[in-house]
Amino acid sequence: MIALSVAAALAIFVVYTALAGNGIADLTPSTLAGHAGDVSLVGKVVGNPQGNAAYHGGLHFQLKDIGRATPARVPVVYRGSMPDLFETGRDVVVEGTLRNGVFVAKPGSLITKCPDHYAPAKSSKT
Amino acid sequence: MEWALALAAMLAVVAVVFVARPFLRDPAPASDRLDELAPEARQRLGLAEERDRALAALKELEFDHRTGKVSDDDYRAQVGPLRRRAAEVLRALEQGEQGRHERVADRGQPVP
Amino acid sequence: MAPLGRAALLLAFGLIAYALVAGSYAAWKRRRRLALSAQNALLAAFPATLIAAVVLLVALGRRDMTFVYVWQHTSHKLPLGYALSAFWGGQEGSLLLWLLVLTGYAGLAVWLNRRSRELMAWTVPVFGLVAAFFAFMLCFVSSPFNVQPAPGDGRGMVPSLQNPYMLAHPPLLYLGYVGLTVPFAFGMGALLSGRTDERWIVATRRWTLAAWMFLGVGQLIGAHWAYVEIGWGGYYAWDPVENAALMPWLAATAFLHSVMIQEKRGMLKVWNMILVALAFNLSLFGTFLTRSGVIDSIHSFAQSSIGGWFLGFLTLMVVLSVALIRWRLPLLRTKTRLESLVSREATFLYNNLLLVALALTILWGVLYPILSQAVRGEARSVSKPYYDFFLHTFGLPLLLLMGLGPLVAWRRASLRSLGKTFIVPFAAAIVTGVALLALGFGSSWPGLLAYTFGAFVVASIVLEFVRGRAAAGGMLRLIGRNRRRYGGYIVHAAVVLLAIGIAGSSAYQTQRERTLKPGGSIEAAGYTVRYLTSTGVRGPNYTGFRALLAVSGHGERFRLNPGINNYPIEGQSNVASIYHDPRSLGDVFTTAHLLNKRGTIDLKVLVKPLINLIWVAGFVFVAGSLIAMWPDAVEQRRLAARYAAGAAPAGI
Repeated sequence: MIALSVAAALAIFVVYTALAGNGIADLTPSTLAGHAGDVSLVGKVVGNPQGNAAYHGGLHFQLKDIGRATPARVPVVYRGSMPDLFETGRDVVVEGTLRNGVFVAKPGSLITKCPDHYAPAKSSKT
Repeated sequence: MEWALALAAMLAVVAVVFVARPFLRDPAPASDRLDELAPEARQRLGLAEERDRALAALKELEFDHRTGKVSDDDYRAQVGPLRRRAAEVLRALEQGEQGRHERVADRGQPVP
Repeated sequence: MAPLGRAALLLAFGLIAYALVAGSYAAWKRRRRLALSAQNALLAAFPATLIAAVVLLVALGRRDMTFVYVWQHTSHKLPLGYALSAFWGGQEGSLLLWLLVLTGYAGLAVWLNRRSRELMAWTVPVFGLVAAFFAFMLCFVSSPFNVQPAPGDGRGMVPSLQNPYMLAHPPLLYLGYVGLTVPFAFGMGALLSGRTDERWIVATRRWTLAAWMFLGVGQLIGAHWAYVEIGWGGYYAWDPVENAALMPWLAATAFLHSVMIQEKRGMLKVWNMILVALAFNLSLFGTFLTRSGVIDSIHSFAQSSIGGWFLGFLTLMVVLSVALIRWRLPLLRTKTRLESLVSREATFLYNNLLLVALALTILWGVLYPILSQAVRGEARSVSKPYYDFFLHTFGLPLLLLMGLGPLVAWRRASLRSLGKTFIVPFAAAIVTGVALLALGFGSSWPGLLAYTFGAFVVASIVLEFVRGRAAAGGMLRLIGRNRRRYGGYIVHAAVVLLAIGIAGSSAYQTQRERTLKPGGSIEAAGYTVRYLTSTGVRGPNYTGFRALLAVSGHGERFRLNPGINNYPIEGQSNVASIYHDPRSLGDVFTTAHLLNKRGTIDLKVLVKPLINLIWVAGFVFVAGSLIAMWPDAVEQRRLAARYAAGAAPAGI
C-alpha cells in the first residue's frame, strides 16, 4: 500500500513537472549572454543607478558577478516597487528577459539579498 | 589572564575526576558487566507492551462506544476479540512470571 | 578571557570525544563502569560548553572588540539586548548555541533515563557523535574566540536585525532543531542495542513534542517578522532558509503521529525509525543550508568555509542511519497488518504519506538548483507556483484528514457508524461551501476548499469535545484524563486556523498600487485610502519620510503612515504601516515610496482577509502542545512499572 502511494505521489510529481516546465534558469552577468526567455539574474549593483522605478522610464542600473572579478556587466531596466536596502554594492536578484543587450526586468521582481551575515531576517520582495 | 587559565585547569581536573568517578568508587567490583536484558526479559517486556496495548484498546473502544463513534454492532463485534486477546496476553505474562519465580526460587534467592 | 573560552571548548571537545569513543567501546564490550564514565563525560560537557558561552556573552555585553566575533557583529552604540543577540547572529556563535543546547538536552535526557542502562549505553555515544562534530568545528575550524589587537568600533548590526524578533526567532528555532536530536539518539541507541520495544519512544515523546512546538513557533515568529518588519506584504517566500525549518517540522509531525500507531498497534517500527532519522537529518540539513553558500537564497551567504564540513557530517549521519536501520530490519519487522483501509491507523498512514511527500517535494525544490547545475551545467530554480501546487495537492487533503481522523475508530470502522459520525461535520462543510460559493469565494478554488475543509475539521473537533465531555462528565475531566488526545485536537484546531488564515490572506487578497499626488486616493476591497500629505522623519540613525493616509471603509476610519527610513550606511528600508481590523481579523497593509519633492508617492495597498488568524493560531498551537505534553502521574507510574528491570510485576 505504501508502494502504491509512493507511485501516486511520483505520478503527480512527474505530471506537474511535465506540464510546468523546468524552472527558471539562475544566471549571472557572465553567463547571461545568449539566453532567451524568462530567467533569473543574480548580481552586484555597480555604478550609479539612474532614474526611478516608479516612473515610465524605469530605474537603470548595472550588475556584475558577485564574488568573481569578471568584466561582464549587464544593464538592467526595472519598473515596480523598490525593495529594501537597494543601493550600489548590494547583491540583488531580478527576473526578466535579455533584449538587445539590456535586461528588461519583470515588474516587481527585484529582490535585495541580506548583507553577508548569518541572518534569519529576510530582505524585502515586492 | 592567569586566573582564567588557572580556572580552566581546575575545571579540567574536576571534569576528569567526575569522568573517573565510576572507577574510583568501585575499584574492584564483583561484576563489571553492563546489565542487559536477557532474551526472556525482552520477551516479557514485549508481552507487557502488548498487554498495555490490549487494555488501552479496550478502554478506548469503551469510550468511543459511549461517545457514539462506534456503533453497537461494531462494539459487539470488536469487544470480544479484544478481551480474548487481553486475556491471552495476561495469561502468557503470568506463566512467564511463574516460571521466573520458580527458577529464581530454585537458586535460593529472593525474588526481586 | 578568550583563552578561557577556548580552553572550555577544548575541554568540552575532549569530554565529548571520550563519551563517543569510550561509550561505544563500553556498550560494545558491555563494561558497566566505562559506560557510566562515558555518561558522566557527556553530562560534564554541558557545564564546559556553558562556560564558553558565558565568556562569549560577557565579551558581547562588554563590547570587547579584541574578540574578532564581537567586532564583526556589534558596535559600541548597539543596545545591549541586540549585542547579546549577536551570540547567534554569526556563524561561530550559532555553532556554539547548537552545542550548548545539544549538550544541555543530551545531559538532561540521559540523566532522566540513567536507570535504563542498556539503552543509555548506546544512546550516549550517538549524542557524542553529533556533539563531537560541533565541538570539533568550534575548536578547530570556526572558533568564536579568535582575538585581534583592539580596533576602534565594531562593524555593527544590520538595522533590519535590530528588533525584538532577533531575540526570539533564532533561539526558538534552535531549541527545535537541536531537540530533534534527542529522539534520534534514543532511536539509534535502541537499534544499536538490538531492542525492539517502545522504551525509546516513551522516553522521548515529550522531547519530540517540545522540539516540534519550538520549531513551529519559531517559524511563525519568523513569518511575522517578515510580514511586519520587512515590508513586502507577505510572510513566507519559500526561500531555502525558510524551507530549511519547514521540512524537519513536517517530518516531525509525521513522526508524532506514527509513533501513536506503534504505541496502539505495535506496527510501523521500521517506519518510525526512518522518520526519526529523516527528521534529524533534515534538521542538520537545515542548519547546513543556512550556513553555506551552497544554495542561492535571498539570504546571501558568502561561500562559507564550513559548508564542506557540514556536508561531510550530514552524509555520515545519513549513511549511519540507513545502515543501522538496514541492519536491524529483521528484528523490527512485525506481523501486525493494517486491518482496514478505513480505520484511524489508515488515516494516520495517509497523513504520514502526505506529510513526507510534501517535505520531499520541498526538498526537491530546494535542491533543484544544485542538481540542475550538476546535470546540465546550469542552475535553474523553481519558484512559487511549484510550491503552491504541491502545498495545495498535499496540504488540502491533509486538512481534510485532520477532520476525518478523529471520527474514525481504531482498527476498523464500518461504513454505517462512519455515516452517523460524519453527518454533522459533512453537513457543516457543505453548508459552508455553498454559502461561500454564493458569496463569491469561488474565485479561488484552493481557497474555497481550504475554507470548506476547515469547516469540516472545526465541526469534527467541536463534536469530539461535546461528545467526550458528555461521556467523561465535565470538560476539565475530559481533557485532564486524555491530555494527549485533546491537546492534539487543540493543535489541530490551531492548524485549521492557520490554514484559514493563509487561505484568506493569499487566495482572497486584494492588491492595488498607484502613483498618488497629495489628495489622491485608492479604492481597495471596500476601503478608500486617501493620501493626505507627506512628512519627514528623523531617528537615531536614520532620516526618512512618512505618507499620511486617511482610510475609511467597512464602518471604520483610521490613519496609516507608511514610509521609508534612510540609513546612511546600510541604505533605505521600507516601513510598512498596517491596520489590524479586530472584527474581521484582516489587515490593511500599506507601503509607500516618495517620488519627488512635491510629495508624489507610489502607494501600495494590500487588503489581507483573516491574516491575523495565523498569529492567533500560534497561541492555540502552544496551548494545545502544552496540554498534550503535560505529565500524567498515573501514566508515568504505569510506564515506570512496565520498564522496571524489564519485568512486569505479577498481577496488574
